Amino acid sequence: MSYQRTQQFQSRRANNWNRNQNTVAFVSAVKLGPIAHTVLIALMITVLGLIYLTQATRATSYDYEAQKIDSQIADLTTKKGDLEVENARLTALEAVKNSTVAKAMTTPASTEYVRQ
Amino acid sequence: MKLELQHGSRTRLLAFIVLGLMAIFVVRLFYLQIIKHDEYVAMAMEEQVKRLTIPAKRGMIYAMDGATPAKLVMNTTVYTLFVDPQVIKEKDRANVLKTIRRIAGGNVQPSIEELISRTDTRYQILATKLTRTQAELIKKETLTGVGFQEVSQRYYPEGGLAAQTLGFVNAEGHGQYGIEGKLDDRLTGKDGLLQSVTDVSNVPLTIGRNNVNQPAQDGENIVLSIDKNIQSYAEKALADGLQRTKAEKGSVIIMDPQTGKIMAMANQPTYNPAEFNKVQDGAAFNNGTVSTPYEAGSVIKTLTVATGIDKGVITPDSTYVNTDTITVGGKTIKNATKGQTGTITMQRALNYSLNTGMVTIAQRLGDGKNINVQARGTMYSYFHDKFGLGRQTGVELAYESEGNVVLPNDASGAEVRYSNMSFGQGMDVTMVQVSAAFCSIINGGTYYQPTVINGVMDGTDFKEKQSVVAQSGVISQATSDKVRSMVHTARSTFYAGSDKKGFEVGGKTGTSQTIVNGDYSDDQTIGTYLGYGGDDAPRYVIMVQVSGKNMNLEGGKHAMPIFTDISNWMLDYLKLQPKG
Repeated sequence: MSYQRTQQFQSRRANNWNRNQNTVAFVSAVKLGPIAHTVLIALMITVLGLIYLTQATRATSYDYEAQKIDSQIADLTTKKGDLEVENARLTALEAVKNSTVAKAMTTPASTEYVRQ
Repeated sequence: MKLELQHGSRTRLLAFIVLGLMAIFVVRLFYLQIIKHDEYVAMAMEEQVKRLTIPAKRGMIYAMDGATPAKLVMNTTVYTLFVDPQVIKEKDRANVLKTIRRIAGGNVQPSIEELISRTDTRYQILATKLTRTQAELIKKETLTGVGFQEVSQRYYPEGGLAAQTLGFVNAEGHGQYGIEGKLDDRLTGKDGLLQSVTDVSNVPLTIGRNNVNQPAQDGENIVLSIDKNIQSYAEKALADGLQRTKAEKGSVIIMDPQTGKIMAMANQPTYNPAEFNKVQDGAAFNNGTVSTPYEAGSVIKTLTVATGIDKGVITPDSTYVNTDTITVGGKTIKNATKGQTGTITMQRALNYSLNTGMVTIAQRLGDGKNINVQARGTMYSYFHDKFGLGRQTGVELAYESEGNVVLPNDASGAEVRYSNMSFGQGMDVTMVQVSAAFCSIINGGTYYQPTVINGVMDGTDFKEKQSVVAQSGVISQATSDKVRSMVHTARSTFYAGSDKKGFEVGGKTGTSQTIVNGDYSDDQTIGTYLGYGGDDAPRYVIMVQVSGKNMNLEGGKHAMPIFTDISNWMLDYLKLQPKG
């Protein structure tokens, strides 16, 4: 079973347009010749080019920012590594054995065991 | 008309010239942009696109510090200082050298005055292994013609601890010996790749369609089952023991009999992996406990007794008549300890380490009089197939030796050979093989694959590896209990006063002859001691070996004190409670 449209609708704006078709149209006094057109097109191309260059430069500036952050990360990672090495060196068995605390320790005379 | 014609021809001429020029441009552009397109694109790519390798970090190696992993091998960045002698002006040399000496100190190469004067060269290394702080201080001086090169190298916070177990990384970045050599692929990781358009300072830019950013996969951080405290004590005890005995070489292995995990492997002589290039004798790189098979001697008697009990041919109280000699295949075998003659028990034979008792067990595995094919087959089945002697254990260390246990039906696998094998001669075994076998006969009969790996570090999380049961029911629980009791009695008979009271400690001596000029020599013997200790159950197995050229070293006299030293310390370290 098929349906058919029974009525054509037109918007109010379309009706207004039709209504004003016979009104007077004013022609602009400014006339653009072929040279002006060429210049305008050239200007538009230049503006578009400038927009492209601005965006590309902005993207590149982000690269430099990212690079700077990467360098900082690498630098901090290296410093962290240095600190880990230093920590390992200070907690090494020989360092602990030679510490003043360890040297002051004595062997217990006897050991008592607690029954669990 | 004439003028117009002339005017028209000039215009046309000019038009032709312009067209001609344009045609030249078009043809040239066609040549450059179409025909030579690929070539110029490749050139542009080469110039603009940089391929930077992101180096993967080599995995770190951890040891256990009680129950916590602790770093044993780390990575650190050091700097090599180089100069371009052609760039440094003669009047500036003194200042450059003075600054480098002041900051680099002991890292400066010898005769740097001569090196900096070699103006026919453009690269001279004046200092190596500078720290980052030193490098930054020198950089602040803004010396012309001075540069730095970053070098990643291994750092060993514990110095030479467990050197043979760790191995080292050579100048090319490849792991050699030990865990570094065996697990080189896992530790190395995989380098990443950064392919990108860069500016003149090599800063990667996001423009370009062919950018690649493949991150590096760092190597695995491996946690060893080696406990750094036990390792340190074992190394000290071994060094002290060698000093007392004047022995040249020695090895100690300590295992957990309930898991097969190796807690320490000590070797003398040893070296510092950070200075591997200074080692004069390459033998120092070898881990004697896995790479040097030898005739272990009487410690093997524990395995012979276990075989006899498990097969039901003897009990600890079974007797035989000992005459201090026994004849096998026309050869007379003697006891090292004389005087225990008459009808004696197998326990007594083990206590006094009597070879005749072990040969008797071997004979009883056959027809009772000869070590026939059946007896040899049974011995081979236990020694090789069940206890893992004469075959690689699979421990994760480079250059593990297989050893050798002769087949029972081999031409040389005759009665005499197998009689010798019953008391630990005539077959080559490694310490790790014997220790793993001994673990299985005292832990109830489970053979755990010996391992030095306890797990991996995933970030800051320790992921522990489960023990691998290579074979269960190697011997029965009842046999295991009896053998453990016999080994405890064997030690108590002579060395009861050496051990802390209230703990169960057992052990067996071994003194093996070595082959000198094709014959067994009594003047050059290897001393071995194999034992265990614990509370309600065995908690550790220790095997000690000492040797030296033209030295007569005995298990009881030279190796046993080292065992006792470590054993008594282990009882405290493991916080075991005494019985009673």
